[in-house]
Amino acid sequence: MLEIRNLRVKLAEEDKLILSGISLEVPKGQVHAIMGPNGSGKSTLAYVLAGREGYEVVDGEVLWNGEDLLAMEPDERAVKGVFLAFQYPMEIPGVATMTFLRTALNAVRRRRGQTELTTPEFMKRVREEAVGLAIADEILKRPLNVGFSGGEKKRMEILQMTVLAPSLCVLDETDSGLDIDAVRIVSAGVNRLRSPDRAMLVITHYQRLLNYIVPDKVHVMADGKIRKTGGKELALELEKSGYAEFRSEALARSLASG
Amino acid sequence: MTVASTRTKAEQALSRSFEAVAAKLPGGDAIAAARKAAIGTFAALGLPHRRIEQWKWTDLRSALKEALPPAVNARVKLSPGEIDAGLEELAAIDAHRVVFVDGRHAPQFTSRNDIGGLKITPLAEVLRTEACAGDALADEGLIGNEAVVALNTAFMTDGAVIRLAKGVRLDKPLLLLFAQTGPQGCLVTLRNRIALDEGAQATVIEAHLALPGAAAGQTNTLTDVRLGPGARLAHVKCTLAGERASHLSTWLATLGQACVYRAFQLTAGSGLVRNDVFAKFKGEGAKLDISGAFLGRAAEHIDTTLVVDHAVPACESRELFKGVLADRAHGVFQGKVIVRPNAQKNDGKQMAQALMLSPDAEFDSKPELEIHADDVACGHGATAAEIDEGLLFYMRARGIPVAEARALLIESFIGEAIDKIEDERLRAALSQMAKRRLTGLTAAQP
Repeated sequence: MLEIRNLRVKLAEEDKLILSGISLEVPKGQVHAIMGPNGSGKSTLAYVLAGREGYEVVDGEVLWNGEDLLAMEPDERAVKGVFLAFQYPMEIPGVATMTFLRTALNAVRRRRGQTELTTPEFMKRVREEAVGLAIADEILKRPLNVGFSGGEKKRMEILQMTVLAPSLCVLDETDSGLDIDAVRIVSAGVNRLRSPDRAMLVITHYQRLLNYIVPDKVHVMADGKIRKTGGKELALELEKSGYAEFRSEALARSLASG
Repeated sequence: MTVASTRTKAEQALSRSFEAVAAKLPGGDAIAAARKAAIGTFAALGLPHRRIEQWKWTDLRSALKEALPPAVNARVKLSPGEIDAGLEELAAIDAHRVVFVDGRHAPQFTSRNDIGGLKITPLAEVLRTEACAGDALADEGLIGNEAVVALNTAFMTDGAVIRLAKGVRLDKPLLLLFAQTGPQGCLVTLRNRIALDEGAQATVIEAHLALPGAAAGQTNTLTDVRLGPGARLAHVKCTLAGERASHLSTWLATLGQACVYRAFQLTAGSGLVRNDVFAKFKGEGAKLDISGAFLGRAAEHIDTTLVVDHAVPACESRELFKGVLADRAHGVFQGKVIVRPNAQKNDGKQMAQALMLSPDAEFDSKPELEIHADDVACGHGATAAEIDEGLLFYMRARGIPVAEARALLIESFIGEAIDKIEDERLRAALSQMAKRRLTGLTAAQP
């Protein structure tokens, strides 16, 4: 279970809070969606869960299976099963996608006390999963994400997630920049990973993705807080009414400063 | 001129050394006269210093504190095992070997050469039999390098003079090994010539290595490359001269019509290195691709200075150099591309990038485009950057430990240059040799 308690976070070099008291629980076996307008702090939450530098946790705690996640280095979190599918996946020139995947998988397996996979075992596994995500063999030989289209990068994130088999999946705007066919492929990949042993947090601006990845709960986030929590129908309501009712504070502030 | 009194200890020692060894240097009267003229040129010029534009970041006058005695009578007591140990991964490459130890040809380590169309002669022999082997010296492209080349002419003792006949394709690479050995450092002066006649094809590896236990030496090497029409040469230089050694290298390349010259230079574990390359297109439609990787640690200094002269129309040049600099290491890249008047349809691209592993490391880069024709495509770029924290986080978020992530990023950075080597086995060998030294670089960093 992921337990976030009263999490307050600011940028290291600024005073303003980006997350101002988030509390949230995602039990294993469930998929929770976080929706919200731009600038609501959704991506910050994703980065803080993964351990990116540049943020300062002012208050609160994050427990993953009872362990203090915030005390761990980013790579330790991955070993403990945390995976962030990036909104903007990084390009790594000179590192073939296959090499990257194998390095990551073997690092994680080694540190989990599992044996490393042999090259043929590994290749077979990656190729099988790649087919399901419509990723061509040729792409696996190219440097990771270099020259990939937006859709290819997002599918590659899901391939990495599938290969690393994490127990906590955090997906940050995985649908952004995707056409409807790509959303279907990516969603099917995510749905294949749904399991009683796995918790998922799906961050999205639009309801569209949630037609394909149907969440158990939807949280609406604005101004760094969870403003409303409901079932999957909440996403449909938002689709009709928009974020207007959650925007008042931010809007007031921007009007005041603008 | 009253220059003599201002000469440094090293400059004076070089002139004195010449007087001492001149009589033992190979060659007849004409060569002796050329040597004498050259040492006169050197005496007038002195070592290059920072007030000479091309040497402003590599001040030899202050860097070379002393001149080692020339190695004229070196004796070779080596086992093939010691040679192979020095060659590291290159030892496993199936190649025709020509071996020089402390500046002298070592025939016992050289492969028997009975390849039709391939002629390899030690320079010392050429100097004894031919009237003049120094006919490359008048090349106008050498501006700024006169003193270093003059020293080469004055002291040259040996080297490989290679000629590949028209249309001949070498079945396997030619490995020229220049090994420094022994507990006493010496000055080694080499001159090579690689001439490929029309349509000939070869891969030549030029390896300058300090064998285990060798004292810090000084090397001055000049390689004269001449490619005939349609010839194709892959030329890989590997400089692992030793931590406190100095290594001055000059390549002169003249490129015939529609030839292809693919060159690569790996430099690591060497105290002070200057790699000069002067390449001149003499025939239309030729292609030059020169790239390199340099790895510096401690107070090592590695300078790559290229002059690519597009003297005729429709040629293409590509340059990609990548360096990793740790500790107080200093990297220099100077790349000049000249396009002569009426040399239209030329295409030149240049890129130099350094990865800085330490705040005390330094990288100086000077691209220079001198274009006198209007219908050309030329571009250049240079960067010096630290390891990208965003990339590091991305890799760590996938479970890769930070040290492994850093190593992989550095390797991949250098790998982009090493990937320019087309021969797969050679690429793998150099990649391993670089990787071994990268481990040394990264281990030292916080």
